[in-house]
This record gives sequence, C-alpha cells and structure tokens, in this order.
Amino acid sequence: MEDKLSHTESLKIINEMIAQAKNNFDKSGSFYFLLWGWVVMVANLGHYLLVRFTSYEYPFAVWLLTIPAALVAAWYGVRQKNKASVKTHFSGLYGDIWIGVGICIVLSLVFMPKINFNHGAIIMMLAGIGTFMSGRMLKFQPLVVGAIALWIASVVCFNLPETDQYLVGAIGILAGYIIPGYLLKSAEQ
Amino acid sequence: MKDLTPLDPLLHSQLRLGIMSLLISLESAEFTFIKEKTGATAGNISVQLDKLSTAGYIEIIKSFKGKKPLTTCKVTKVGISAFETYVKALKNYIE
Repeated sequence: MEDKLSHTESLKIINEMIAQAKNNFDKSGSFYFLLWGWVVMVANLGHYLLVRFTSYEYPFAVWLLTIPAALVAAWYGVRQKNKASVKTHFSGLYGDIWIGVGICIVLSLVFMPKINFNHGAIIMMLAGIGTFMSGRMLKFQPLVVGAIALWIASVVCFNLPETDQYLVGAIGILAGYIIPGYLLKSAEQ
Repeated sequence: MKDLTPLDPLLHSQLRLGIMSLLISLESAEFTFIKEKTGATAGNISVQLDKLSTAGYIEIIKSFKGKKPLTTCKVTKVGISAFETYVKALKNYIE
C-alpha cells in the first residue's frame, strides 16, 4: 500500500490509532474488585457476628476464605495475561501497585499485636491507596469515590474497639470495592 | 521561509504510519491486535512489518502461545525518534 498521503490524512491516522490504543486498557479490573470485595465483606461480617452473637472460639477462622480467593485471583491473573493481545505501558504498573498494597496488608497482619490490633483500620487505608490509583489510571471516578469511602472507614475504625472495626470494615468494603466494582463491570461491557 | 524537512518515506504510508502510531502508544502488541485495529489484511501487514523491522523501527518477537505461533511487535528507540521527527516535520508542513 504505497498510496499518497496528504498531511492532514497523516495527522488523522496518527490521532485515530493513538485513540484506538488508548481505549484498550485491561478490561478485567472489576473481577478483582468484586472477588475481594465479596470475600472480605463476608469475612468481616462473619467475624463480627461470630464475636457478637456466639461464643465460638475461633471467629477469625472466617478469614481462611481469603486463601481460596487468592488462588482464584492468581489463576484468573495468569489466564488474562495469556489472553491479552496487547500490553500497555500501564498494564504492568497497575498490577504492581496492588502487589505493593498486598505486601503491606500482609505486613500489617503479621504485626497485629504491635499495631494494637488496629489492622482493620490500616488495611482500609492501604486498600484506599490501591483503589485510588486504579481509579486514576482507569480514569474511572467511582473508584476514586470508593477510595475516599475506604479512608473514611479507616478513620472511623481507628476510633472503635477491634470487634466493631469488622462491621465498619464490611461497610467500607461495600462502598469502596463492591459498588464501584459493579459500576466498573457495567462500564467494561 | 520555513525549512521543510522531507517526510520519512518509510512512515509516510497509510498502513505503516497506522502501525507505528499504534505501537508508539503501547509497550507491545500482538499481530492479531494490529490486524484488528488497522483493518488491513494479514499479508499486507506482514510486508509492512518487515519493512519497519528492517529499518530498525520495530522489533518483531516470534514465540508460541500454546501450540500456535505468536508474533509480537514492539517499537524501538530508533522508531520512537523517527516517529517524533516525522510528526515534527508534519507540523511544519501544516502550519
């Protein structure tokens, strides 16, 4: 195709192709928000209800739910990576932010006694960073609002006893992950 | 009178310019993605990719996805600089 191009046609091609590339962000973000949103909300609520209304000795056992969730997330991540026909400059960075957030969450769980069992508040704060960055990168405002909800939940948690933090955590995750997650899912389709 | 640099003939072609504009915005793209976005035929794209690769503007990586052969393309530093020069020259013509 050695056709003659006018200057304005050249410019038009450049603009069109750059726009095409831009519109091609990874369309699997909502899966993670919904997976982790539901798992963490159910675990938070479960923990709260078990402590408040039962004398069950191991209420924290509900958090074992996060193990299969992590396996599902890893399996889904590998599958999406193999399926993707394009890699943007952002795609690596997007995942890296969540890896960083995940490491910090694990660290705050390891040092729970040292942080006076305020891990719930700290996890909300960290999840807020990831959600905020995701919202900015995808240019998706509901995630930014979700991040603010998580930070508000964090402030509330810091002022409550440990057990009540689980209830606030569940509400924070509903507002910060699940609602924006469903909105993102419908935007992706 | 403005000094009008001639436009790089390698980039001044509809499909090659399209491919380069696409790749410049991405880290890498598979052949199928380029085909889908440009709407050109596989044969034509192959020919143009070879020309861009010979000039050192792009890197073509051949591998396998499962059992299927996979072609991935990536713009090089030379390609980025050629693209920038082309856009600058184009601006001078239009202004």
